[in-house]
Amino acid sequence: MRKISAISAVCILMLSGCLSEDSRSYLTEEQAFTNSQNLYINSVAFLYGYIGGSSESQGLQGTCRGVYDYNTMTTDEALIPIRGGDWYDGGLWENMYQHKWTEDDATLYQTWKYLYKMVMLCNQSLSDLEKYAHLATVEEIGQWTAEVRAIRALFYFYIMDMFGRVPVVTEVDISVSEVVQSERSEVMRFVYDEMTAVLPYLANQRSNHIGRYYGRITKPVAWFLLAKLALNAEVYADDDWTDGIRPDGKDITFEVDGIEMNAWQTCIEYCDKLHAFGYVLEPIYPDNFLVHNENSLENIFTIPLDNDLYRNQFWYLFRSRHYSHGGALGGASENGTCATLHTMNVYGYGTEEVDARFIYNFYAGEVFVDGNQVLLHTGEPLVYMPMEVKLNLTASPYEKTAGARMAKYEVDRKSYSDGRQPDNDIVLFRYADALLMKAEAQVRNGEDGSEAFNQVRSRVEMPMKEATLENIIDERLLELVWEGWRRNDMIRFGYFHKSYDMRTALPEEANAYTTVFPIPSRAIDLNPAHKQNHGYKD
Amino acid sequence: MHRNRIELCKKHLIFARDVNHFIISSMKRLTVIGIAAIMSVMSLQAQIIEERQQADTSSVKARTAVVEGDRMNQGIPETPLKSLSGQVAGVNVSTDGSERMAMLNSVRVRGTTSITGGNDPLVIIDGISSDLATLSTIFPADIASFTVLKNASETAQYGSRGASGVIVVNTKRGNAQKFSISYDGHFGVESIYKSLQMLGPEEYLSTAGALGLNVKDFGYRTYYPDIVTRPGLVHNHHLAFSGGNETSNYRASIGYADRNNVIKGYGDENLVAKLNINQKAFGDLLSIDFGMFGSSHKIRDLFDYQMMFYSAATQNPTCPTGDAAYENWVKNNTAAYINHPEILLEEKNDEKGLNFNTHLKLGFDFTKDLRLVVFGAYSYSSVENAEFCPTWVWAQGQAFRKEAKTENILGNATLSYRHSWGAHQLKASLLGEYQRVAGSWFQTRVSGFTSNHFHYENIGAATSRPYGETQSFSDNSALASVMSSLSYSYDDRYSVTLTTRADGSSMVGDMHTWGFFPSVSASWNIKNEGFLKDVSAVSQMNINAGYGRSGNLGGISPFSTMELMLPGEVVPYEGSSTITLNRMRNTNPDLEWEMRSTFNVGASMGFWKNRLALTLEYYYSKTTDMLYQYDVPVPPFKYDKLLANIGSMSNSGVETGVIVTPLLKDDMELNISLNLAWQKNRLLSLSGEYRGMQMSAADIVPVGSLIGAGMNGGNNNILYQIVGQPLGVFYLPHCTGLRVDENGNYKYDIKDKNDDGSIDMSDGGDRYIAGQATPKVTLGSNINFRWKDLDVSVQINGAFGHKIYNGTSLAYMNMSNFPDYNVLKEAPARKIVDQNVTDYWLEKGDYVNIDYLTVGYNIPVKARYVSSLRVSASIDNLATITGYSGLTPMINSYVFNRTMGIDDKRSYPVSRTYSLGLSIRF
Repeated sequence: MRKISAISAVCILMLSGCLSEDSRSYLTEEQAFTNSQNLYINSVAFLYGYIGGSSESQGLQGTCRGVYDYNTMTTDEALIPIRGGDWYDGGLWENMYQHKWTEDDATLYQTWKYLYKMVMLCNQSLSDLEKYAHLATVEEIGQWTAEVRAIRALFYFYIMDMFGRVPVVTEVDISVSEVVQSERSEVMRFVYDEMTAVLPYLANQRSNHIGRYYGRITKPVAWFLLAKLALNAEVYADDDWTDGIRPDGKDITFEVDGIEMNAWQTCIEYCDKLHAFGYVLEPIYPDNFLVHNENSLENIFTIPLDNDLYRNQFWYLFRSRHYSHGGALGGASENGTCATLHTMNVYGYGTEEVDARFIYNFYAGEVFVDGNQVLLHTGEPLVYMPMEVKLNLTASPYEKTAGARMAKYEVDRKSYSDGRQPDNDIVLFRYADALLMKAEAQVRNGEDGSEAFNQVRSRVEMPMKEATLENIIDERLLELVWEGWRRNDMIRFGYFHKSYDMRTALPEEANAYTTVFPIPSRAIDLNPAHKQNHGYKD
Repeated sequence: MHRNRIELCKKHLIFARDVNHFIISSMKRLTVIGIAAIMSVMSLQAQIIEERQQADTSSVKARTAVVEGDRMNQGIPETPLKSLSGQVAGVNVSTDGSERMAMLNSVRVRGTTSITGGNDPLVIIDGISSDLATLSTIFPADIASFTVLKNASETAQYGSRGASGVIVVNTKRGNAQKFSISYDGHFGVESIYKSLQMLGPEEYLSTAGALGLNVKDFGYRTYYPDIVTRPGLVHNHHLAFSGGNETSNYRASIGYADRNNVIKGYGDENLVAKLNINQKAFGDLLSIDFGMFGSSHKIRDLFDYQMMFYSAATQNPTCPTGDAAYENWVKNNTAAYINHPEILLEEKNDEKGLNFNTHLKLGFDFTKDLRLVVFGAYSYSSVENAEFCPTWVWAQGQAFRKEAKTENILGNATLSYRHSWGAHQLKASLLGEYQRVAGSWFQTRVSGFTSNHFHYENIGAATSRPYGETQSFSDNSALASVMSSLSYSYDDRYSVTLTTRADGSSMVGDMHTWGFFPSVSASWNIKNEGFLKDVSAVSQMNINAGYGRSGNLGGISPFSTMELMLPGEVVPYEGSSTITLNRMRNTNPDLEWEMRSTFNVGASMGFWKNRLALTLEYYYSKTTDMLYQYDVPVPPFKYDKLLANIGSMSNSGVETGVIVTPLLKDDMELNISLNLAWQKNRLLSLSGEYRGMQMSAADIVPVGSLIGAGMNGGNNNILYQIVGQPLGVFYLPHCTGLRVDENGNYKYDIKDKNDDGSIDMSDGGDRYIAGQATPKVTLGSNINFRWKDLDVSVQINGAFGHKIYNGTSLAYMNMSNFPDYNVLKEAPARKIVDQNVTDYWLEKGDYVNIDYLTVGYNIPVKARYVSSLRVSASIDNLATITGYSGLTPMINSYVFNRTMGIDDKRSYPVSRTYSLGLSIRF
């Protein structure tokens, strides 16, 4: 027996030498970072691949069940009604609209994981840039590090906006116990400080034009985000959003280029920087959403889309239009999303004074494709019924046709994946929004915001109006419908937790706890030190 | 119980009675003989076991389960796996529910042992490690025996690959002296005997009319089952030659099988050629065994099972057919999940596979006691997949091509020693083995066709070849092993065996390269004791027990432990699109072997010259360090899953076998064998520590859900993995009955389980554990009867104690998608307008199935060259006795994946095969 053991031991030693794997289909880290070009591509450029997405809950916009839906289907702007056997989806959309989401919602957890994945990938990149700094010049490393920190700040903005009290993690190799939540105001400060710290290193270039800076975070993108943050500072600086008391924007101060300003002044300042840079309104509103909208003078930050070049997708037209409508365009569709009654009312649908942007933003009534009327499967014409919308359309005669549908973006007839992969770049930040932000900040700061406000209205030849807060929130819906800002706007205006459209506020919602989503329960399970947000189950 | 189920039950009962009557009358008319099949289990002789097991003692061999050639040629022999079905207790052969023609393609030995992978048993064909796919290409007529190794001491000898059991296949060799030529052939017809009864065209139109629903009458009257199905045709032919003398012999064979199944255009073909040569040299010193076999198979499979059968059931039955289907038919875009069934027949999902295997074994018998065997084997397999979706089905069309190749080189040397003195017998052996596997694949997917003419043959005709759809990959891994074994037996009464195997793999973490798999077993042959020796009624009796550990690496792939960068996102860079390299997963450098420890104890008894034989066995096994994609927090991790060795799972069971030979005369023999296996699986834990961090998976994880209209991603999960439960349980809201709503429609009344005043359909809400998907008890029975030259054989398999979710009826009984989707004939009257997932459609899955009935006649021939001539007639899948109301209860109940236990609109129409067979020996 001993002999056998001895022989075994010798054999083991001999054989161990032959146990190796040779990888040809992957690279190791050392093989991936060998010069300044691939250091940039594999540590900075790759992050932009995740701003958009091609699967559920991935991307800031473009696909389903992610950041965009939680900011849109939860509001008075749009909803996905239950249409008989379609779109029940276990109550997902219904619960979104009624604010009945819970900490156990799988889609909410997916969204959390997407946002923090980006943060951790940024942290990894910062570590890579440090480790392989010798491959590039000091100046390059400085710029690239700034760009990665800016991307991270952008994602922290969305995380803070949705989840309130969240952990700020800036390292890649840390243990769970080091991941601890910060107050919402601290996260807001972190985003502001990071963004302003890296601003000097960001390129002073347009991001939406094809070229070296296409799709990247440049100075104007950062300015827009800072303006957005400042405009919402009352909300973000409020560490207890259920006590009914918000700090006053005039008391919240930020340092802008060495000068201390209140939140509203800060917002105005960054909007003015955009104007000074050269952003203007496109003369024709729908031009910002053309199949080839890369030349827009108005768009600030977009997700580049191209059938063949990139993987990012845009599902919202596909998801909204009726099956026959999609069929007529040569693809399929899902007959889901439509505008609320509130949206129709604000647009003046059915009245004498319909907003000029209505026809660009919606399909309503009969629909024509290539001059041919779109017919239902039964041979009758398809007629969208905007005012027949209900949360549950089952058994309604307009089960499949109720609701005005999303238009806004030009239909790309050459797009693949049933129309989910068009060439239109998705607009995330746009100058018209900056103008409306400026007008609002002016009004909130006790100034007159009419100039900026009416620039937006006059572009579509709508009559001038006074820039009151009521007019501004409606104008934001008219101008920015389908662009993913509605929840943000409603919370700022204090409407989000109230009854509106066909929604009755939840009995316990009066304290506005729903203005922040719960920390997903699975995230708390895995990091028990996390504390749940007010109003949700621990 | 609702009406249709009662009706269906009645139908089955009547059917059952018919079947019983049939069997009873057959029994009366016929008298027979047979071979006590399980006897062979007990009296298993050394020659059919590989040298590796020869190192084992004869006493433990009794624990192996063998299926021999005689039982392999019954029914219509399609694949060797079918021959195994129901033959060995604790071994379940089933379809995995997703691929390959509803064919039997998965085997579970004593349950599922891992969540992540490696649940298929190791297959050893003539000493070459192989897989089920290769085994399924071998012709049943070429197989001498199957040996299924289940027990600890047997599987431990296969170390890191033995955890899920081992199937040792020995193919037929040349016979020492006799020259022989044999031909075996079968010809059969497959015929559908059960399909879903949906509303016919007139009923469809009138129902829609009565409900005031708009529906388009295309003017045709279509019965889809007739349009997409046909009588299937199966035939196979096998020719073998063998001959030789004392010192050398050979056997060569060629076989061809062709199956055109009941769905138009679909089927498979297989061609196998095989050669074995044995030679002795230098007296008895050297024996050479050389073998090679090659097979080529083609499969024409359905592209999307669910869409095909969902469409055939629910498409508007007034749609045009034939050429008009392509020209005049307009897809109803509202019915997004279905298409025109006839057009779906144009989809292609073809596979071509090629296997080549060869081995050379040199045996040196230095002395009577000392033997050295040197073995080398090489195998190569390639699989080509090609798919095509025409523009009628997919906007712009789509084609896909893939080619995968695997090369496997194995070499080993075994030194074995045996010595007897007095009543003592000692055996020892030492094995060294090295194996290298290299795999590679290439694939591309294109879209944008302007003509459907090309199928997948010219992918250059497609406009779009998007990024990420053309890929190739290669990997390689190595496994080195050392095994020693020692066994001692005294007086043919007591014996004990110890083995230790050490396996080293390149795939595990550097700290865990070597895994150790020891085993011990002992047996007591009571028959040889003085007090039983002379009791003639007892012909055999022994007790044995064993403990051993085996491993599983099925959940790990090469490079798993390395942090690697691979092509990921594509982004604009300097104005053009550029591919970036990313870290695409969390990496665990500490991955190691999954370990399965098994204990078993059993007894086998034979009475009256083994005319009554009984076996009984109990086992308990526990898998530890179980590989699973555990949830990890994001942040600090980048991704939410980490493959790690943490959890544990147990399997236990009792297996019994009985064989009775009530009749045994010269011209008449009756054998009845029956095996029953109770199997219990439990997922013990999915939590533990990883690098000082407490890690766990969610206690409740959905695994399988319903797919279809209105089912997209809601609370439509059915099957779950729940800690503390068997793997694969149904976790559902409880329906207390149907409730009428204000419109006179019925809805499922869901119980508020937690009495919180609201119905919460989500996980952890108002749901409860409603049953398990895997049968608790399985049955296999073979009745063999011979009268003179006539014989009858019946194979009956059954499964009990499990549930099936009848998602098909949930969907087809629901009126809320009508008339976009057609419904069952009873549906309009039942007025259910609800598709919530509840336990209403969870049904008992118990069944007994008559797998085949074969009647054979050995024609007495006195011809000069013909030594035997046999004709046979068989019916396969004769009848199913069940209370299950769906098409068939024989869905995937064993393989833990998203289809397990869920009948979701994808069951093949149920068919029988009637066949005739001819065997001639010269």
